Amino acid sequence: MLDELIRRSLRLFASRERLDREMEEEMRLHRELRAREMQADGVSAEEARYAAQRRFGNTLRLREEIHQAWGWRWIDELRQDLRYGVRMLRKSPVFTLVVVMTLGLGIGATTAVFSVVDRILFRALPYPHADRIVSVGLIQSLETEEFTLGGFFFDWRDNQKPFAAFASQQAGPHACDLIGSNSVQLFCIRMQAGFLPMLGIRPLLGRNFLPEEDQPHGPPVALISYGLWRSRFGRDPNILNHLIDLGGKPVRVVGVLPERFELPTLQPADVFLPFQLEEEEQRNAFPGTPMRTFARLRPGVSIAQARAEMEPLFLSTEQMIPTSIREDFRKDFHLSIRSLRDRETEGVQLASWVLLGAVFAVMLIACANVASLMMTRGAAREHELAVRSALGASRARLIRQSLTEALLLSLTGAGAGMAVAVGLLRIFVALAPTGIPFLGKAHLDSRIAAFTILVSLACGVAFGLLPALEKPRAMMLAVRSIHSSTRAVVRRGLVIAQIAISTVLLSGAALLLRSFVGMENQPLGIQTSGVLSAAVALPDSRFPTGQKKMQFYLNAEVAILQLPGVSAVAWTDSLPPGGWHDGRRFSDFAVAGRPRATAAVGEVVVCRRVTPDFFRALDIPIFRGRNFRDADRNSKQNFAILNRLLATRLFPSANPIGQRIQVGAAKDGPWYTVVGIAENVKNDGLNKPDDPEIYFLRRNIPDDWTNGRAPVAIVDSVLPPQIVAPSVRSRIAQLDPIVPIKIETLNDYVSRLADRPRFETALLGFFAFAGVTLAAIGLYGVVAFTTAQRTTEIGVRMAIGATRIDILRLVLREGLRLAALGGAVGLIAALALTRVLRSLLFQVEPHDPVSFVAVTLLLVLVALAATLIPARAAMGVGPAAALRGE
Amino acid sequence: MLILRVLARSGELHGFEIAKSIEVLSQNILTVEEGSLYPALQRMLIKGWVKAEWGVTAENRRARYYRLTAVGRKQLEQEISRFERVMGAVTRVIQTT
Repeated sequence: MLDELIRRSLRLFASRERLDREMEEEMRLHRELRAREMQADGVSAEEARYAAQRRFGNTLRLREEIHQAWGWRWIDELRQDLRYGVRMLRKSPVFTLVVVMTLGLGIGATTAVFSVVDRILFRALPYPHADRIVSVGLIQSLETEEFTLGGFFFDWRDNQKPFAAFASQQAGPHACDLIGSNSVQLFCIRMQAGFLPMLGIRPLLGRNFLPEEDQPHGPPVALISYGLWRSRFGRDPNILNHLIDLGGKPVRVVGVLPERFELPTLQPADVFLPFQLEEEEQRNAFPGTPMRTFARLRPGVSIAQARAEMEPLFLSTEQMIPTSIREDFRKDFHLSIRSLRDRETEGVQLASWVLLGAVFAVMLIACANVASLMMTRGAAREHELAVRSALGASRARLIRQSLTEALLLSLTGAGAGMAVAVGLLRIFVALAPTGIPFLGKAHLDSRIAAFTILVSLACGVAFGLLPALEKPRAMMLAVRSIHSSTRAVVRRGLVIAQIAISTVLLSGAALLLRSFVGMENQPLGIQTSGVLSAAVALPDSRFPTGQKKMQFYLNAEVAILQLPGVSAVAWTDSLPPGGWHDGRRFSDFAVAGRPRATAAVGEVVVCRRVTPDFFRALDIPIFRGRNFRDADRNSKQNFAILNRLLATRLFPSANPIGQRIQVGAAKDGPWYTVVGIAENVKNDGLNKPDDPEIYFLRRNIPDDWTNGRAPVAIVDSVLPPQIVAPSVRSRIAQLDPIVPIKIETLNDYVSRLADRPRFETALLGFFAFAGVTLAAIGLYGVVAFTTAQRTTEIGVRMAIGATRIDILRLVLREGLRLAALGGAVGLIAALALTRVLRSLLFQVEPHDPVSFVAVTLLLVLVALAATLIPARAAMGVGPAAALRGE
Repeated sequence: MLILRVLARSGELHGFEIAKSIEVLSQNILTVEEGSLYPALQRMLIKGWVKAEWGVTAENRRARYYRLTAVGRKQLEQEISRFERVMGAVTRVIQTT
């Protein structure tokens, strides 16, 4: 109804000139005919015209009435308001600039952060009804993401009730070669035929796997990603039924996945193959193939219900576990069902909420500032409003005028904000740590633009209404602008709130900063400068046997060691101080001659499989016993080095050197002889305490090179890494020209681990800085305003003998009282709120006194600075001038 | 109502003719500001009671001619019946005193 009205009036408005002209013509005709008639009655032409005009009435008013009939009144008034508003804003450019910049900063920061967290917290995942998709499986101390095993997967699938669909993908993608005119290494992953239907994804082209293709020895078929289809096949629509050579085997392409498809595990993958599991074999084999299982909840079933319904199946799974490890299983394995969103972003949700909270705080401060500025202006315009109201402007009309101006300002601010947001987002993406999912994909889209406009409108309404609601009193006409005490109270309240909010922000930023500095400066226990890591992935197609792989790695070791400046080369499967590493449960360790320890389950021992130079390359001291020797590499025996933590845990009193230990639940596993104890190094990420660790010697037998992850070379050299890196690359290329090599300095690697906290610290720091700046401007504004209003009072005080110091004290007291009040409120709030940050902090307590003292000091400084400027101005007031001004 | 009445009686009229007709009809008792005729006509146009078309007067001048629509006719009937009801009530009140 209303929109029809508006549409009609707009349509009429579009042809307004014609309509007005026609109306004019019609009315003119009327007057002329009337005048003619009168002339016929014998009145003079001149007189007749006036009489006709008199009888006709006020043409201008009639036209307005007609416009109102056409529904134009609001358009006319809006145009008036807009024109007036623009004129007012242009008349005070400083005011406009400050407001637009404040809003731009607030809105820009809000939009940019919202763009980042939108995907993490709110945006729908790219599957239909994604809120019903869950990740199902076991979790344990070594693997905290849900997984299932072939041994019980089929049992669960057949007997589960809460899910409408239940399907698995391979645990992770594996490297595979696409052979052709130029071969490339891709990521391949296997998935069950029911996997895509469970997600609700249909291929863009072609079809999903057929059930018979998901059988063992089924026909070799594949789906390919949109990215591969574009880059490799130029979006060829005839790709279906095309044979591609995958590591020497011809595979038929049966479909192309949609552009926005992503695995629920967010792993990269180019080629998707049917899982082709042998069901009967899996059921009887324990543990069976590991996989990632996702499921779609039946309508009306909650995650908690699903967990309750799956519990009996989980318990029956226990019966399949060999009795020897059932106890461990019971203690350490749990059933877990999580929503897909939690599975994807659980680790960053807290940081996202913190950021969003921080940015809204900045937005609030900005809004309060603008409201405060508007009120100051409102005070200056009281007189004008009173005059307009006396001339007959209705209350509603005046409020609308104020609102129009406020909205005009906030929309201009939104424009500036969008520019700021684009810039900020670019900075965010540049700083983006790899650990935050989707950040690289964050962009400003229409949703986010809508969000900005919404925020700015809310802001506009908020600060437009505040001053407008104050009723223009007739008194204001008589008295030349009186000081409104309620307004002063509101403004002071706003400033106190601003200072309080920015105190909270500052406290959070200070804590993160302290934590980050502590993390950066902690001793890692390894040397990082002058050390390179080189990851070399050997494709199975060219290195089919373990022997060939080992030979390659050993040759590479010798070749790199011959390079000038290189002092040590070692192969390992993982790098300290963080990232992926192999691990064992502490309870898996057994010492020869002692019963197996039944230690607390769940504690993880880091395992690395290294060659002897590892300790020299990273400068890790062996403080007891000896390092691995080259001779050990050809030994039949297995050797191990423990770190200090593990040594004291396993051998609290005895000498560990020469002891033999067995690792793993199986009783027939290999025994390792302990030859040395190494100093602890940081080994579980930068922000966690050290874990016990064991180093296994990588011997010259193929099994030591093919089990587990592909080895990474560590190269220590006296020359700068940028000189060594190319020669390392060329040495490896001499051995095999097309194996992919990834070289990174250890410094970069460590710094990458600190990316997340650095990002969080930088952002929160930025917001705290912006908040404090805005709050300082607000404080300055209020003090300057009240000081200006008290000019006369100050003049009188000086005239009756107050010194300049007295005046300074007077003004300072006012400003500092506000700051102290706001600071106190803020500190109390901060003490309550920083607890949320606990999991983001490293070796810093949420109530860290140093941070809070620093924040308080900073606040005092800022408040002093913001107050001193107006105070100095007040001191300069000449009593005579002040009194004359009245 | 007067406008509708005049249009119902005479078919197609332009503004001045309507004004004249009202004058005649009400025997010069109801003379209001003549110009207020035009906003009233515009409101009726928007409500769809009348239709307007540009035409030429007897003296060969462009003028907008208004005509009653079906909706307008119905409206007129309603208004007449309401008017008669009110008048009837008023008359009764006067007669009983």
